[in-house]
Amino acid sequence: MPDPSSEFRVNPPGVDRRSFLRTSAVLATGLAAVAASLRPLMDLEDYTTVERFLQKYYKELTPAEMDRVLQRIANEVEKQYGIRPHVRDLKPMDGVEFVYALNLTRCIGCRKCVHACVAENNQSRNPEIQYIRVLKMPHGTLDVEKAEHNYAPPQVPEPGYFYMPVQCQQCKNPPCVKVCPVHATWQEKDGITVIDYDWCIGCRYCEAACPYWARRFNFTQPSIPKERINPDMAYLGNRPRRQGVMEKCHFCIQRTRAGRYPACVEVCPAGARKFGNVLDPNSEVAQILRTKRVFIQLKEEMGTSPRFFYYFDV
Amino acid sequence: MRVIRDYGVFLQRCARIAFVGDWRYYAWMGALTVIVLLGLNAYAKQLVSGLISTGMSDQVSWGVYIANFTFLVGVAAAAVMMVIPVYIYDNEELHDLVIFGELLAVAAILMCLAFVTVDLGRPDRFWHLIPGIGQFNFPASMLSWDVLVLNGYLLLNLHICGYLLYCRYQGKKPAKWFYIPFVFVAIVWAVSIHTVTAFLYVGLGGRPFWNSSIVGPRFLASAFTAGPALIILALQVIRRITAYHITDKALLTLRAIVQVSMLINVFLLFNEVFKEFYSGNLHVVSSKYLFVGLHGHHALVPWIWTAITFNLIAMVLLVLPLSRSLKWLNLTCVLCIVGIWIEKGMGLVIPGFIPTPLGQIVEYTPSLNETLICLGIWAFGLLCYTIFLRMAVPIMQGRLSKANEGREIPGIEAAAQGAVDHA
Amino acid sequence: MTDERKTSWVLFGLVVIFTGLTAAFLENLWGRPAPLEAIPLVDRAFLDTATVRRSYADLIRAKEDLSDFDCYACHEKNKPPVLRYDAKQQLIVPPEHSDIVMGHGSHGRNNNCFNCHNETDLTTLQPRDGRVLKLENSTPLCGSCHGPTYRDWEMGIHGRTSGYWARNLGPIDRKNCVNCHNPHSPKFPGRQPAPGPHLLHPVVETGPNPSH
Repeated sequence: MPDPSSEFRVNPPGVDRRSFLRTSAVLATGLAAVAASLRPLMDLEDYTTVERFLQKYYKELTPAEMDRVLQRIANEVEKQYGIRPHVRDLKPMDGVEFVYALNLTRCIGCRKCVHACVAENNQSRNPEIQYIRVLKMPHGTLDVEKAEHNYAPPQVPEPGYFYMPVQCQQCKNPPCVKVCPVHATWQEKDGITVIDYDWCIGCRYCEAACPYWARRFNFTQPSIPKERINPDMAYLGNRPRRQGVMEKCHFCIQRTRAGRYPACVEVCPAGARKFGNVLDPNSEVAQILRTKRVFIQLKEEMGTSPRFFYYFDV
Repeated sequence: MRVIRDYGVFLQRCARIAFVGDWRYYAWMGALTVIVLLGLNAYAKQLVSGLISTGMSDQVSWGVYIANFTFLVGVAAAAVMMVIPVYIYDNEELHDLVIFGELLAVAAILMCLAFVTVDLGRPDRFWHLIPGIGQFNFPASMLSWDVLVLNGYLLLNLHICGYLLYCRYQGKKPAKWFYIPFVFVAIVWAVSIHTVTAFLYVGLGGRPFWNSSIVGPRFLASAFTAGPALIILALQVIRRITAYHITDKALLTLRAIVQVSMLINVFLLFNEVFKEFYSGNLHVVSSKYLFVGLHGHHALVPWIWTAITFNLIAMVLLVLPLSRSLKWLNLTCVLCIVGIWIEKGMGLVIPGFIPTPLGQIVEYTPSLNETLICLGIWAFGLLCYTIFLRMAVPIMQGRLSKANEGREIPGIEAAAQGAVDHA
Repeated sequence: MTDERKTSWVLFGLVVIFTGLTAAFLENLWGRPAPLEAIPLVDRAFLDTATVRRSYADLIRAKEDLSDFDCYACHEKNKPPVLRYDAKQQLIVPPEHSDIVMGHGSHGRNNNCFNCHNETDLTTLQPRDGRVLKLENSTPLCGSCHGPTYRDWEMGIHGRTSGYWARNLGPIDRKNCVNCHNPHSPKFPGRQPAPGPHLLHPVVETGPNPSH
C-alpha cells in the first residue's frame, strides 16, 4: 500500500533552491519544446488574411461586397499566375433548368472531356483533380463494380465494351446539400449545385454522402501551370481553389450562365454529350427526353433524381 | 464577490495540485507531454502541407481521425452507464464513482472535439459552424446535430462534476435540484450523442454498407461494452495509485453491464453478417472486402478477424464465472476495448469507402504524421483525465477542502520536511 | 533510492528529453510530405475542339487549294466513268483515286459510286429523288437514306453542337455529317484515349489484379 502522503511531495517555491531550479528547468525546456513543436508553422504561407477570415457567406454578400471580393480574387490570381483574370459573379437566368443527356452509343471513351474540363476549370494537375471519371463497362450491365477506370488500350472504343463518363449529376434531391453542416453547398435556381469555396470548412461529409463519387477535395495546395490557366472565371465556378476545400463539376457555370455550352460538350468528338435548358421545348435535351424511350438515371433507387440522363439510341 | 473569490481560490488550488506529485506522476505526465508534443508538431506539418500528409484520398476520404472520433463518442456515452445504476437503481456502491465516469466522459469528449478539428480541411473556418454567426445547417445535417449534442454533453458533465466536486470541497451537501435533473438529462443525452453519431453514417444512402438500421443499435451495444470496460481498468488504477476506496463489488457491477452489452453486440454482429451474405445482392461488396477481401485487396481482413476473435473470447470469458477474478476480468476488458476499437474504427469507417460508389478499390494506410496526431490526441486525453483525477481524488478524500485553505495540504508538510532533511 | 531522488532523476530525464525534442523539432527530422509523383501535362491535342475531319465545305471556307476536286481535269464531260468489279463483287478503286477506301455499308452493300455521285455531272451528288446537290451540301444526301439519324441531326441530337445553347445570346455551331464521317467509309474512327486518372497516393502494385 503506497504511502498516501508521498503523492503530495511539493516544496514551496523559494524554500528549497534545488527544487526551484529543478522545476524551472523542466518548465523552461518544456515550454521550449512546445514552441519548437510549432516550428513547421513558420512555413505556412498565405493561410488566411483578416479579410478572407471574416468574409461573409455568398448569399449574404451585398453587390458592393461581392465586387470587392471579386477584385481581391483577381488580384490574388494575378499575383500567383501572372495573368489578370476576368472574375464575375454570374446569376442564374430565369426560366432555365439545365439538364444533361449522354448518349452511351456514341461515347468512345477517349477522355477528351476529362481533360477539357480540367483545362477549362483550372483544376489542380498535381495532385490530380478530375471532375469527370470515364468508366469502361462490359456490354450488358450497369453494375459499376464491373467498371474499369484505368483502361489504356492503343485505340478506343474496344469491342464488347461501352463507356460511361460520370460527373456531378446535379441531383434534384442532392444528398451533399442535405449533409453540409455550414450550407457551403446548395442548389441554385437553374439546377446547378454550387460550392462557396470561401465558406467550405473541409469536413468532407459531402464527399462521403455523394452516391456518384462526384466531389473532390483539395488535399494540398492545387498546382495549375501558368501557361494553362483559364482567365475567364466565375466566383462559384472555375476560380482557383485553395487547400482544404471541396470542388466539383458545376456545369461550367462561367460558360453556361453566359449562354454557352460546357467545355465537355464542346470537345466531345463523337457528339455524345448534349446539354441545354429542359424548359425550352426546342432545346436538344428537351427533344431527347421526348423522343428517346429509355433513360438511365444512375443509381435511381437512391432517390436523388439526377439531372443527368444516359441513353442508348442504336 | 466573495463567492467569486472563493471559487477563484478553489480553481487556483486545483491548478496548483496538478503540478504536484511523486516521481511516478512526473514520469507519466512527462511521457504523455512528449507524445502530445509529437502530435502537435505533426499537426503543424499537416496545417502547412494539407491533408495530403495523411493517407486519405478522394476514394477513402475519412480515416483514423474519424474512426477514433467514433470510438471515443461511444466511450463518452458509456460514462452514463454508471449513472443509471446509481440514480435509477439506487446503487450506493457506485455513487462516488459516478464522478470518475463523468470525468472520463469529459476527457473523451475533448478528444472527440480534437479529432474532428484535426480532420477539418479549414479549421480556421470553424466559426462558420456557430449558430447565428455562421450558417448552421440544422436540422438537416447530422453533423450539425453532432456539434450541438457533443458540446451540450460536455457542458452537462462539466456542470455535474464541477458542482459536486465544489460542494464536496466546501463541505456542503449539494442541492438536489441543481444537479439531479441534469443527471437525468445526461442519461438521455448520452444515448443521443451516440445515436446522432451513428446517424451520421446511417443517413448516407449512397453508402449501402452504412445505410442500415443495425448501425445505431450496434454503436450503442459496443459503446456500452468498451466504455465500462475502460472504466473498470481506470478505477483499478485509481485504487492502486491513490488508495481511494473502491470495492470489488463496484467493479463487478460494471462487469455485469459489459457482459450484457457484449452479448448484444455479438448477436448484432451475427445479424449483420447474415443479412449481408445470405441474400447475395450486390450491396454486399463492402462487407466482402472487409471479411474476405475483394479482387485481390484484403488489407482489412486480418484486422476484422482479430477483432471478432477478441470479442468472442471476451464474450465467453464474461459469461464464465472465471472473469469474476480481477486478473481475468482485466484481460477480458482489454480484449473488449481492443476488439471494439478495431471493429468500430477500421471495421466501420474504412469499408464504407471501399469500393467507391463507382466501384474503384483504393486502400488506405494511415501515414506517420496521421499516427502521431492520433497518439498525440490520445495522450492529451489521458493527460486531461489524469489532471481531473489529480484534482478530484483529494477533494473526494477530504484532503483538499475549504477547511484547509491557506494551509498546506495534509501530508505535504511531513513529506516536504522529509525532503529538506534528506538534502 | 528515496522517492526524492527518483523524482530528481525523472525531472532531470524530462529536461534531457525536452531538450532533445526541441532540437529534433527544429531540425524537422521526420514527417516531411512525400514528393508528388510527376504527372506530365496532357498533350494539347486532347484539348482540341476541332472535328475529326475537314469537309469540302470547310476547305472552300478556308480558301484552300481545291484542284483535287476538279473532276473534269481528268474526266471527260458527258462521258460517265465506268465502274469495274472483281469476282467477289468488290469495287475496284481506280489507282487515281487510291486514297479512297470503300467501306460504306458492310458486305459491299453500298459500293456503287453512283449511288451518291452523279455520273452525268461529277461535281454534284444525286439523292435519287431527282434532286441534285452540290458537293459541299452533302448532308441531305446522307439524310435521304439515314432518315432517323437525319431527323435527330436536325433536332441537334445527333452530332456535335457547340457555341451558344441560348440562341438569343449567340449562335449555335452545328456540324455536318462529313465533318465527322468519311463519306466513303463513314464508321466513326477509333482513336488513342487520353491518359487515365492518377491516384493521390500511388500504390506499388503487388497483387495480380491492379486496382481497376
